[in-house]
Amino acid sequence: MSHEHHSAEPAPRPAPPMEALSGPMRFQVVGRLDMEKPSAAGKRRKRVPWLSLVLLCAIAMGCLLANFIAPGNANAMDLTAPARAPSPQYPFGTDMMGRNIFAMIWHGGRVSLSIGLLATVISTGIAVLYGTVSGTGPVWLDTLMMRATEIFLSVPSLLIVVFLQAIMGSSNAVSIAIVLGATSWPTIAKVVRTEVRQLRSSEYVIASKCMGGRFMHVLLQHFAPNFLSSIMFMVVMNVRGAIASESTLSFMGLGLPLDIVSWGSMLSNADRALLTGAWWMILIPGIFLVTTLVCMTNIGNALRREANRGERNL
Amino acid sequence: MIKGGKWIPYLLRKLALFIASVLALSIVVFAISRLSPGDPLVSYYGDRTEKMTPAERAQTMERLGLNAPMHVQYVRWLTGALRGEFGISYKYKQDVLQVISARIGNTLLLGVPGFILTFALALLLGLVCAWREDGWLDRILSRLGTVLSCVPEFWLSLVLILCFSVLWRLLPSSGAYTIGLENDLGDRLRHLILPMSVMIISHLWYYAYMIRNKLLEEIRADYVLLAKSKGLSRGKILFRHCLRGILPSCISLMAISVPHILGGTYIIETVFSYPGIGTLSYESARWKDYNMLMVLCMLTGIVVILANILAQIVNERIDPRIRAAENVEQTEAEQK
Repeated sequence: MSHEHHSAEPAPRPAPPMEALSGPMRFQVVGRLDMEKPSAAGKRRKRVPWLSLVLLCAIAMGCLLANFIAPGNANAMDLTAPARAPSPQYPFGTDMMGRNIFAMIWHGGRVSLSIGLLATVISTGIAVLYGTVSGTGPVWLDTLMMRATEIFLSVPSLLIVVFLQAIMGSSNAVSIAIVLGATSWPTIAKVVRTEVRQLRSSEYVIASKCMGGRFMHVLLQHFAPNFLSSIMFMVVMNVRGAIASESTLSFMGLGLPLDIVSWGSMLSNADRALLTGAWWMILIPGIFLVTTLVCMTNIGNALRREANRGERNL
Repeated sequence: MIKGGKWIPYLLRKLALFIASVLALSIVVFAISRLSPGDPLVSYYGDRTEKMTPAERAQTMERLGLNAPMHVQYVRWLTGALRGEFGISYKYKQDVLQVISARIGNTLLLGVPGFILTFALALLLGLVCAWREDGWLDRILSRLGTVLSCVPEFWLSLVLILCFSVLWRLLPSSGAYTIGLENDLGDRLRHLILPMSVMIISHLWYYAYMIRNKLLEEIRADYVLLAKSKGLSRGKILFRHCLRGILPSCISLMAISVPHILGGTYIIETVFSYPGIGTLSYESARWKDYNMLMVLCMLTGIVVILANILAQIVNERIDPRIRAAENVEQTEAEQK
């Protein structure tokens, strides 16, 4: 049964030394082109969250270019103009200490977003290492490590963060990011561990180890590409969670001090703003914060592969 | 292995798991509290430590047993804790347990009804959305829900206070009761409306969405097709069969959600200055009242561990399908 050129192949590819194979059996690797699309594909159109992407990019650009949009020190106080409502001079008004909220939004957004990113880098790093060690380790180690994460998860992370913050005393953006990163890894670690557990006895992993592949090599070359897609959603959600936690902590006065401007610390005077009914001090930073969080959620949801559902029977 | 009875060894095993988890938790909490970079005395006396003379310091260190090695200290703390001695709150100058017991009722009053309402509404919302999947109502609710579930609790509380207390002056913005009206039920309820709304709004969609997705999976099961071909109406299938099918996973979802909702309640209490455990833990963090914070961490952790074990029991014993599956496995194993 000899095989001729497949007719659907548009042009014969510069095949590897086929001629070297003599004899009647001649195979050609037929690429993806020939494969039929699965019938379910295309039914569910892929939704790209354009609005969220654009909004998030706009906010991020605004924060990056904070020095051009609102030059000068965001912390500059104008004690002659405290608690001014939004006006042409101060588009978003001023806060209790006469700081320009418009400038604070962009400069503070920088801090908030960087804390979110840094905390996520830290927590993802811990999670990947922890999950891989647990997944590749012997059974007793695996059980022990997974039990440990369960215990870790059993205390509301906010309480741990509050505890750590109380111990660390005065805080800055980096210390908050470290605390948040150090407390938000267990869920990702669990997923990494499950994936690694499934992969660890695959032939290519064993082969790689036999050829002397070290732990980090196997992790980065073989495990990471496999679990990346399943943790991507959680990583994005982690950025979101870190930003939300930072703002909550700063609002409660346990996070950034007032003079380090972030969206959360801008809200930490909110109780005084409430008394005077100064809505702009509460609503404007909050709207930026919530918009960012919503955009991230939408992007995260789009990243999560929609479960391939069949027809409903109902 | 399971087949009917044998509940006692099973529960004993769960009890052992519970004790082990609580012990591990206590080690973690103790370790964190002793990790404080500065002076361990600070955790007992706070800022007053700075005013102590060296002789006083040495004496107090000796008296509190802070010179002993870590594990000895831990055992000492643990035996004290088992006897209910958690030490004195630095801020309140009172026994820690006394302070907590005075406030725990308020938290339960807010938390338990809020928790039940959240899940009742989530179930309802999940049903509505699954009933017309991808319909206009489902889409609108999904959008709205995603946005609302992203709003941090504290900001939602602020906005509600701004609207209902500051602008429209309809509802009180803080506390659990008006002073002088401690026993007035109506007044208490009025104080509960805003915190509980925040609690429900900020958690509702997260769980409604999970329940919706569970239902959507269930709708695709084969038995639904069978029920439909028998001529059952959509409503009957959804309520009698699908809903029953997802109830066990709903219960374990409720159990797993405890830390999440508890954490949220703590924040909400703080914003509304509601005199409960949450406000207490916030204050002890601010005043560096470590004794108090340790007990609160332990207390919360124990509730959560209990909830987790409950979820496991529901999953392993209550759900008859899992039991049936295990029985099948067992008979198969016996046949081999």
